Amino acid sequence: MRLSPLEPWFRQSPLAAMRPATGCPPSASLLATDDEGAVLRLEDLSLRSRFGCKGPGAETWLATAGYRVPPEPNSAAIDVDGVLVARIATAEFLVEATDGASGRVESTLRRLNERYANLDDDPPARPSDVYPVARQDLVIGIEGAATNALLRQTCSFDFAPLLQRCEPEAGSIILTSMLGVSVAAFVRRTDRGPVMTLWVDPSFAHYFWTTLLEVGGDLGRININESRRALE
Amino acid sequence: LSRLPHVKGERIDRSTTVEFTFEGKRLQGYRDDTVSSALAASGRRILGRSFKYHRPRGLLSAAGHDVNALMQVRREGGSIPNVRADVVAVGANWDINAVNTRGGLARDQLAIFNRLAPFLPVGFYYKAFHGKRWFPRWERMFRTLTGLGEVDLRAAHRSTPKRYDFCDVLVIGAGPAGLAAALAAAEQGASVLLVDENPSAGGSGLYARGGVTQLADQTEALIAAAVGTPRIRLLTNTYAAGYYADHWVSLVAPEYLVKVRARSVIVAQGAYEQPAVFRGNDLPGVMLASAAQRMLYHYAVATAKRVAVLTSNAEGYAAALDALAHGVELAAVLDLRLEAGVDSIATAKALVSKGVFIHYGVKPIEAVAGAGGEVAGLVFESTAGVERGRRTLDLDGLWMSVGFAPANALLHQASARMSYQRASEQFVPQTLPAGVFACGKVNGIYSFAERVADGRNAGACAAGQLGYGIERVRRAVIPPRECPTHPYPVFPHPLGKEFVDFDEDLQLKDLQNACQEGFDSSELLKRFSTVGMGPSQGKHSNMNALRILATVRGEPIESLGPTTARPMFHPVPLSHLAGRGFTPERRTPLDSHHEALGAVWMPASNWRRPEYYAIAGKSRESAIADEVRAVRTRVGIIDVGTLGKIEVHGPHAAQFLERLYTARFANLKVGMTRYGLMLDEAGVVVDDGVIGRLGQQSFYFTTTTGNSATVFREFGRLATWWGLPVGLVNLTGHYAAFNLAGTASRAVLREHTELDLADGAFPYLGIREAQVAGASCRIMRVGFVGELGYEIHVPYQHAADVWRALLASGARFQIQPFGVEAQRMLRLEKGHIIVGQDTDGITNALEIGMPWAIKMDKPFFIGQRSLRILEKQPRRQTLVGFTLPSPGLTPGESSAQGQRRPKECHLVLDGKQIAGRVTSVGWSPTLGRCIGLGLVAPQVAQRKHLRVRIDRGEEIEVEVAQPPFYDAHGERQRVGDLP
Repeated sequence: MRLSPLEPWFRQSPLAAMRPATGCPPSASLLATDDEGAVLRLEDLSLRSRFGCKGPGAETWLATAGYRVPPEPNSAAIDVDGVLVARIATAEFLVEATDGASGRVESTLRRLNERYANLDDDPPARPSDVYPVARQDLVIGIEGAATNALLRQTCSFDFAPLLQRCEPEAGSIILTSMLGVSVAAFVRRTDRGPVMTLWVDPSFAHYFWTTLLEVGGDLGRININESRRALE
Repeated sequence: LSRLPHVKGERIDRSTTVEFTFEGKRLQGYRDDTVSSALAASGRRILGRSFKYHRPRGLLSAAGHDVNALMQVRREGGSIPNVRADVVAVGANWDINAVNTRGGLARDQLAIFNRLAPFLPVGFYYKAFHGKRWFPRWERMFRTLTGLGEVDLRAAHRSTPKRYDFCDVLVIGAGPAGLAAALAAAEQGASVLLVDENPSAGGSGLYARGGVTQLADQTEALIAAAVGTPRIRLLTNTYAAGYYADHWVSLVAPEYLVKVRARSVIVAQGAYEQPAVFRGNDLPGVMLASAAQRMLYHYAVATAKRVAVLTSNAEGYAAALDALAHGVELAAVLDLRLEAGVDSIATAKALVSKGVFIHYGVKPIEAVAGAGGEVAGLVFESTAGVERGRRTLDLDGLWMSVGFAPANALLHQASARMSYQRASEQFVPQTLPAGVFACGKVNGIYSFAERVADGRNAGACAAGQLGYGIERVRRAVIPPRECPTHPYPVFPHPLGKEFVDFDEDLQLKDLQNACQEGFDSSELLKRFSTVGMGPSQGKHSNMNALRILATVRGEPIESLGPTTARPMFHPVPLSHLAGRGFTPERRTPLDSHHEALGAVWMPASNWRRPEYYAIAGKSRESAIADEVRAVRTRVGIIDVGTLGKIEVHGPHAAQFLERLYTARFANLKVGMTRYGLMLDEAGVVVDDGVIGRLGQQSFYFTTTTGNSATVFREFGRLATWWGLPVGLVNLTGHYAAFNLAGTASRAVLREHTELDLADGAFPYLGIREAQVAGASCRIMRVGFVGELGYEIHVPYQHAADVWRALLASGARFQIQPFGVEAQRMLRLEKGHIIVGQDTDGITNALEIGMPWAIKMDKPFFIGQRSLRILEKQPRRQTLVGFTLPSPGLTPGESSAQGQRRPKECHLVLDGKQIAGRVTSVGWSPTLGRCIGLGLVAPQVAQRKHLRVRIDRGEEIEVEVAQPPFYDAHGERQRVGDLP
């Protein structure tokens, strides 16, 4: 069973217990599960289907597998199935199902793993033109009127132009530091407005999430969306 | 002193009265009055006591630099120390007292120090603390007598989160030049952030009026234009405290700190008016003319009834007109020059026509105090004009307008080069770094029209350089027609008390004496005399001190140069610096499981790890001993997910690793692991780990917990440097790992995997990939703790499942989770080192007794060349094992005995000389005695016993023993299933 890096937090949070906040940061009293009056909406997207791949042949391999591969490093594209392909280095990619299409992504990951783990050769060669990269990220979606204010207190990168001019299906991948932690960020426009997705090393999950809530709590009411806590 | 009728542009809100208490007296002001202006309007001229001599002091600058007017404010929510009375708006029901007094402001008992001045020479602190004997007494006395304000530990919590901001052009200073610069940059399309430390924009354009409203009207028009320009954001009550590389500027707003990243920075901070140095220049009522003008126009307060203006520039003449315009009697204008300057002539005529007498060639001799300690007269000598000779003026106010010092600290911090301009008698920028601009008074430009023109040009150039509009050439700075600053406004008096630095109570003679004692460079003079080191950071003293130094040395001022300006150039509240900080902490996916098991946490690099698992009724030592015993006799499990976990891929992967580690990897079989030691170029041990070969071109390896990020970063750098096309993947956070160790480990693991765990199929030091409890795992058969063991690496999101499954199946063997402390003892029993604990920043690979791990016959590895040199030299130190000859002692026994054990870092002695140190030590429950490792000098290592100095200077003897202390031949980690 896959567990979100935030599963322990959600298990113990006042939201999960459906009781008033006790013993939590002051901002916890501002947490909610609805949008009413919320200036921020934070969503745990960690259990989306996802994989990473790397190697000099990764671009061709992904394209052959039918993915929309962004031509430039530090950019991302989303195809009609809602599959995001982020090029986070010249030859390193992150593939994630944003709206459904989990089956397609999982299937590709299986093929990649089978190709890499092919033990027909003795000893196994383990092809190095394309190899899988484990992506167990904490993934957080951020949206709402106070998004830029939140980012201004947490990150030294100016996201305001991206929030203003982002597009629905393509954009830049920003590799930066937020709350002192390395993150990859992508902003896309949705019918609700700009939505930021952050990919964070999962070992920082508790720190990153609780600090984000603390900072965001100063800005107003936060709507927390747990998404899925566990996935069989 | 009186509140004037409504003054155009005044900041106060007369519709709201604010009542407050000052030194026990109930007073009132208006909303938006500063504490100083409200006090001045109430007739209070003495606002504080000076730092050293406790002399009465009043208004000086009214610009945030009046350090003798710091207040302790008690209000709802707590008491605040060191409130700057000259700029902080007074609040309703504030209880205000001057700091640095004993017995109150009026009857300060410490005023006795004014009479003791001859016994407090320059460099007093250095001289007082010179001898050890008197040091404690001096310290006690200073601690009793000094200190500004009191911190209220019960004060209410304030949230002061820091934040970032961004803009194309940051304009610092919203006076006429800054406003013009902001407008010009915005007109060309740049986004502009305009900041000013005052409650409103306008700067001197609003208060240096010359008795008319024309300049103020023009300034108001500039403000209105800026406010009405969408591309300009105006931040008031915000000052720029420091400039950092790449156009980062720290802004201090009332409630938080802002870190601004600008593409261009324009410094338009103006200039600080400077006092003249003469006897009595610190008396309450003697102030900078600009302070008096601020009071007149911002707060509608006349600071005196009858004043003289001591001047040497056009600004002083304008101030005289301002006094007349508001009904302040003008005793005289006292010009230090022999005649009026070219820009002052018209004003001089106007003043004369109004009956004002102007003295020329004036040398102030002494400001005279009245009965209340405030200024009551001025004795001066006139050396030019029609009325020459010595005179005394009766007055209750003296306004000084004798020059300016540019507010160029940020430019200095930005590495601008300055030159001294004689035409303005100030330093002006000679060359500015790319993207940094200066305009207005900082450039030595003082006329209103010229400042606006200079600002417009700077703004247009800053925007143009960023690609907005046309790229323009910066205009040449036109020197002023009339010099705004006197070259040496210093007038010695045989009785002294001519103050140069009002923060530190430094007199003219103090600086002269410091020079005579040899501290005659600007940097040395500053440090010895403390000039410019007070809260105002020399804004009113540095230039005069430099002029005095130049005069003493007989050299031009430009040959000396100013002192270094460092951030923060203006004091920043600690609350702002202490605003929310970020300290990332990493947790493994098993963190909540450890918590449930009673983990006692310890930091390990930026992770938190279980030190041990607490057991009710058992001591820490007993709990750790139980964990050790469980591993040695049954089975234990430890979370080692904090280890660095990195993959290397590519045809050159083996070659790459051969260069990085001392071991050989080209011949490492697929499916096997090997220990690796990593050195730096000097042969010093920097890291170690286990390297497993997953395929011909794929390796997976671990690093120490604290070094994972550094190793990964360094590997990337070296791959590029060497031109080796390898692929690196950092899996540290994405994989969990735990070590299942003990005789029953194979049986526990077997229940959850189809992998053949038999010794022949999965031998010691093997690595396999297999499903464990439904998750894809990598399993290494390693023996760090010296038992049959499996290090299971599992993707983060599946880790909890696998952990739970192993604990469940291990229950029948009484599986015991163990923490870092038990692991340390287990590996110590085996004599395995921990890099960073049993080595230090200079321990080379030849000193740790692991020759088997170093393959000197390889073509190359990092550190190899140094080791070849070191091989031929005598060893500096060597790692030895030792035991304490006290078998049978258990952790719970005699605490007195326990205290006589060595601890890590205790010194090993050779006679009286230090011969090394203990690196690891502990009580082994397996062996029933204390064991340890130490880095010692080779001659000591040869002996049978070592002497160790333990706590309280006591020395004990330990017995040298060759590790490993347990299972010397490693049979327990290599063998198959034990019965």
